Amino acid sequence: MTTMTDTNNPPVPERIAKHPNFWRNRKHAEHFRNHDEEFDAAKFGMWLFLTTEVLLFAGIFVAYAVFRMMYPDAWSNGSHYLDWRFGGANTVVLLISSWTAASAVRCAQMNNQKWLKINLIITILCAFIFLWVKLQFEYFVKLGDGKAPGTFFSYPNAHDAHEQLWWSLYYMGTGLHALHVVIGAGLLCWVLVRSIKYQAYGPGEYTMVENSALYWHIVDLIWIFLFPLLYLVH
Amino acid sequence: MSTLDAHASGGHHEEGSYLSGPPGMISRIWQWASTVDHKKIGVMYLVAVLTMFFLGGVAALAVRYELLDPVRTVVTQMEVDGVMTEVVSTTGQRLDPIAKIIGADDANQAYNRLFTLHGAVMVFMFIVPSIPASLGNFFLPIMIGAKDVAFPRLNLLSWYIYVVGSTFGVLSIIMGGVDTGWTFYTPYSTSTDADHIRVVFMVLAAFILGFSSILTGLNFVVTVHKLRAPGMGWFDMPLFIWGLYATSIIQVLATPVIGITLFLLIFERVMHIGIFDPAMGGDPVLYQHFFWFYSHPVVYVMILPGMGIISELLAVHSRKHIFGYRAIAFSSLGIAAVSFLVWGHHIFTAMGELAAILFSGLTFLVAIPTAIKVFNWIATLYKGSIAINTPMLYGLIFLFTFSIGGLTGLPLATLSTDLHLHDSYYVVAHFHYVMMGGTVMAFMGGIHHWWPKMFGKMYNEWGGMLGATIVFIGFNITFFTQFFLGTQGMPRRYANYVDEFQTLHVISTYGSWILLLGFLVHLVTLLHSLIAGEKAPANPWGGLTLEWETESPPIEHNFHHEPVCTHGPYDFDTVVPPHCDPKDYPLPSNPGSH
Amino acid sequence: MMMPVLASTEPGYFQKLIFGGDAASRAGAQSDALFMMIFWFSVFFFVLLMGLMVYFVFKYRRRPGVAATPSPSHNTLLEIFWTVVPSSSMLVFFVLGFQSYAEKMVVPDNSLELRVTAVKWAWDVKYPNGATSPEQQPLSIHVDPDTGVVTKGLDYPIFYVPEDTSVQLKMVSNDVIHSFWIPDFRTKMDVIPNRYTGYGFHTPTLTEDDIMADNETIQRDLWIFCAEYCGDEHSRMAATLRVVPMDVYQQKISDWGKPKSPEIEGEQLYNQMCKACHTIDGTASTGPTWSQATIDGVQFGYGYDAQLTDGTTVPRDDNYYRRSFLDPHAEVVVGYKPLMSDFNGLLDEDQVFALIAYIKTLSDRGRAESSEETENTEEPAPAGSES
Ligand code: HEA
Ligand code: HEA
Ligand code: HEC
Ligand code: CUA
Ligand SMILES: [Cu+2]
Repeated sequence: MTTMTDTNNPPVPERIAKHPNFWRNRKHAEHFRNHDEEFDAAKFGMWLFLTTEVLLFAGIFVAYAVFRMMYPDAWSNGSHYLDWRFGGANTVVLLISSWTAASAVRCAQMNNQKWLKINLIITILCAFIFLWVKLQFEYFVKLGDGKAPGTFFSYPNAHDAHEQLWWSLYYMGTGLHALHVVIGAGLLCWVLVRSIKYQAYGPGEYTMVENSALYWHIVDLIWIFLFPLLYLVH
Repeated sequence: MSTLDAHASGGHHEEGSYLSGPPGMISRIWQWASTVDHKKIGVMYLVAVLTMFFLGGVAALAVRYELLDPVRTVVTQMEVDGVMTEVVSTTGQRLDPIAKIIGADDANQAYNRLFTLHGAVMVFMFIVPSIPASLGNFFLPIMIGAKDVAFPRLNLLSWYIYVVGSTFGVLSIIMGGVDTGWTFYTPYSTSTDADHIRVVFMVLAAFILGFSSILTGLNFVVTVHKLRAPGMGWFDMPLFIWGLYATSIIQVLATPVIGITLFLLIFERVMHIGIFDPAMGGDPVLYQHFFWFYSHPVVYVMILPGMGIISELLAVHSRKHIFGYRAIAFSSLGIAAVSFLVWGHHIFTAMGELAAILFSGLTFLVAIPTAIKVFNWIATLYKGSIAINTPMLYGLIFLFTFSIGGLTGLPLATLSTDLHLHDSYYVVAHFHYVMMGGTVMAFMGGIHHWWPKMFGKMYNEWGGMLGATIVFIGFNITFFTQFFLGTQGMPRRYANYVDEFQTLHVISTYGSWILLLGFLVHLVTLLHSLIAGEKAPANPWGGLTLEWETESPPIEHNFHHEPVCTHGPYDFDTVVPPHCDPKDYPLPSNPGSH
Repeated sequence: MMMPVLASTEPGYFQKLIFGGDAASRAGAQSDALFMMIFWFSVFFFVLLMGLMVYFVFKYRRRPGVAATPSPSHNTLLEIFWTVVPSSSMLVFFVLGFQSYAEKMVVPDNSLELRVTAVKWAWDVKYPNGATSPEQQPLSIHVDPDTGVVTKGLDYPIFYVPEDTSVQLKMVSNDVIHSFWIPDFRTKMDVIPNRYTGYGFHTPTLTEDDIMADNETIQRDLWIFCAEYCGDEHSRMAATLRVVPMDVYQQKISDWGKPKSPEIEGEQLYNQMCKACHTIDGTASTGPTWSQATIDGVQFGYGYDAQLTDGTTVPRDDNYYRRSFLDPHAEVVVGYKPLMSDFNGLLDEDQVFALIAYIKTLSDRGRAESSEETENTEEPAPAGSES
């Protein structure tokens, strides 16, 4: 590898070098013929899984489109209630984190253990920032105003009878997305812990890093659709 | 048998059957519960889905029992204390005792809960996982020469998800059951029994089971892509694998949509978010679109693996090269693709005219690849060497009953006739002919075909054939009558009906008892085989696919050496089946005329 | 095009067997003819394929030591043939199917418009003059000549339509989804809350076969069923559509439109909409009984206090009843679930008044209140009220 890798990687301690989880010690599972086959299978599986994730959200998008057609006023009012600056800030946060997630994969491939960890940490921090903005400045404030979903809706200044539907879809869509953010952050934490403890990822073994990063990209991608639909389109 | 020994002593260490395990009950159970072996997981699924089939079957029998007679008011003139008085009583509410047990108000409510229970159990817990998760799990890796599925731990996870999902379903049933119908149409499903958690549990069960289904499908797709034995191209795969492959694609692409639908439904019910509730501006028909966007493709999840089994059964037991291999393989994919475009045919009566016309046209498209398959199967029999045994009998029964089921789908796809037949017993008969007469018959055939391989024991052929015959007769008596009920005006999901339908209902109910008898014969035959069956040879039917090359039951890692695919799955004209005496399976004298 | 050909086809033996009789409308007859066309197409292929199958199984059954004769593993021409034939037949079915669908959906402009409202579990049909039908009939009455035991089905309302008339239905539901199916017209359509749906049909012309046993009346009864699952009494959500001569029809609806005493109107409304859940004989049902009765220690009936699930007790007076009809979920009687539909918008003030007047006649305190001056008549207490 490059010289940079060496400067970033102090010598591997004995304890780790012998550990079965250390990336150099990883063996492929018995039913695969070789490591590459295992890697390809895992990545293919991940792509399929991501397809199912997109389809899951497709339901929300279809419902959004249908109600937009049925109740254009309520929908237009709805997006006016949202402050694009919070959504925009979160979009930036997610884009940064997507970039650091991709960098983490690159670092694993280059055996740059230090930056692998740093990139993962930044990504996870971004996830928390995203959730914090969402809860602190959006959910809590809106629920406080009575802009709650369905029967809980009690916002006194609503202009259209169907605004509670808009809020239902808003909470369902962003809530489900937030759930994915939590799951993605959990995955990345797991990867981080393993790379701190065993240096589990390196040029020969970065399936988990790559798959978690892919998952994170999808979380980002879904937001890229949710953001304009909810915040920008009036 | 000699080849088998040669294999075993080929310098390899001895390896036990997958069924052998450590001594001691606890360690045995733990070994199964924590196994990542696709074969053990397959067997666990087999036991589970058959249990669910039994549960659903019992509910079906209760449903049929209530329908023995309509509800009537009987007014009897009686002398009470010397005065003639009218005594009024009601007859025909046969489910009253059950209503008491499950806490329903009356027989009607008990009936509604029972058919919901029947439909939900049969669809979500039995038929969707049935063939793929049991026989598929067991044989897909072996038939493509792999040691396991691509993600064995994921496989175990999907089994446990199945268990958790079914537990919620069963819990909901134990708490009294739900009365929504298996389709959970809103706003009924969000308002019925408003203060009870049962409906949520049942919906949650279907939701969770969806994940199990997705994971199995995903696992299979990757396995087929990545783990085929050397030398096995796409068109050297057995057709059962093609069926499973097409199924898995549907499972992966359609199930997420029911996921989000049921997710929204749960929130609709507990929080009244209003998306499907007309009273709050929501759209109940949107729910139906969402539901059928999954549930139509899922009917092909049910049938495609069954069709795969039929291709195997007909070829092996008539020792004929399957006719039109590629046409069958591609029609599986074709069905999978078109299945995503036709969901609207379930809601012709609730949608706009233009959409209805479009969906009607698309629905007809899906019948064509199926017709091609049926023609190919019949042509396969031509000039074969047809053995009559239980698997073959089930193959033939499938052709008979599934054809009826499929052909009766045509008037449903036709816009104007569906306006009459929709939600009538005609639909009930149609889908039992395809699900029971298609999938279940193929499943029974597959179970008998692979039984010797799975458990290393032969079953009693007479027992099997007797069971199959009784099931066939009972099935037709039960459900053929229902076509007439439907065309004459009997709506489905009716606990009571007008008098003119009684005769047909009574016949149908008698048929269901015959069905029960048939399945009991099967149960006894198969249990007897497990306990006292003869030891099965490695290749009892002279099959050419890879599962017949290994021992019965297969060893822990399926094969001693990684198998190499040297011939097609159906080259009966040129290849002597492994482990078989050529005298029993002679080759034609002038092979290769094609 | 082809439709007239289908329509002119005389219903054959099999068609009668399958449908149990002829369709009662032209559109229905057409769709039956189309069904039969698909049926014979299916029979043809089914018999052909099963014939071949049975023949092959017999002819080529396994003989020990004899190999199968090789035969081609595919045949492109044959395969194209059996792809094209079904495909083109499908096209024909599709086109005929939607032509006949149009026939069922489209009605002439000047047709009789009936407004159908569905509530759990009853149909309500409003005629153009605002009248509704108070008539009921039990399904099948059977009297055993030896024992005198009478067996009869449940009572269902009767809706009248004139013969040989185009009728347009305009339907809406008050709660969940229902479906209005008239099997004899071979058509149904879902009845959905918050949205109008509908279809039309042309009623048949009455013939000699429709003359009743009394040799005077001429009419034909057709079933109406609810075909979309809607809960407990879904299977009892039926009605009769009675086709009668135009003058009879006109007589009926003008009679029903005439003012009646509130008690009688209330009774009619009860029969139309409330009977599925409420009894007047003091027995429990989906909803509380309306007559004065004690069931398991809970008192019912006008003038008696109602115990509510929230622990409070309210007197059953006029206002209580009014609230119960229009906002039933606000006060729920102990032992019952909030299952009742919200009748707000469905009952106008006169009808609320009429219902209350009727309910009063079912309880001694109610009767006492309403007939201060009309001295107590010897009306016997309804059966079962003394429990
Ligand atoms: C295993 C499951 C399965 C399968 C395979 C099918 C197959 C088909 N189904 Fe079915 N269907 C169900 C399960 C299934 N269905 C269920 C569960 C419901 C009801 C759900 C509910 O409401 O609860 C339903 C309901 C249903 C409806 C809605 C009815 C209604 O509610 O109004 C329709 C309408 O178009 C339909 C059509 C078809 C068609 C055209 C096929 C075609 O794929 C059939 C193709 C097969 C053949 C055509 C026969 C074989 C071919 C030959 C014998 C060769 C000769 C044939 C030709 C030349 C054409 N089905
Ligand atoms: C896989 C799907 C499946 C299967 C196999 C069946 C099987 C049966 N069904 Fe089912 N049915 C549905 C799926 C299925 N059904 C669905 C989806 C609905 C719609 C529900 C709704 O409207 O919501 C429905 C509705 C339905 C109705 C309509 C109810 C109504 O609308 O009012 C009726 C009525 O007759 C009925 C009857 C039967 C009968 C008699 C059987 C019989 O074939 C059952 C026979 C089985 C047994 C008797 C069990 C015996 C088993 C054993 C003894 C153990 C076996 C062990 C081994 C073989 C090893 N079913
Ligand atoms: C779907 C079944 C159903 C129908 C139809 C129905 N009800 Fe009810 N009704 C109930 C139930 C359940 C209750 C008890 C719960 C409650 O109090 O809301 C009830 C309660 C009532 C009560 C209070 C009874 C008491 O003793 O305190 C009145 C009055 C009433 N209904 C009137 C009507 C009228 C008038 C109609 C028809 C126009 C009608 N209901 C139709 C189910 C129904
Ligand atoms: Cu109304 Cu079913
Ligand atoms: Cu379908």
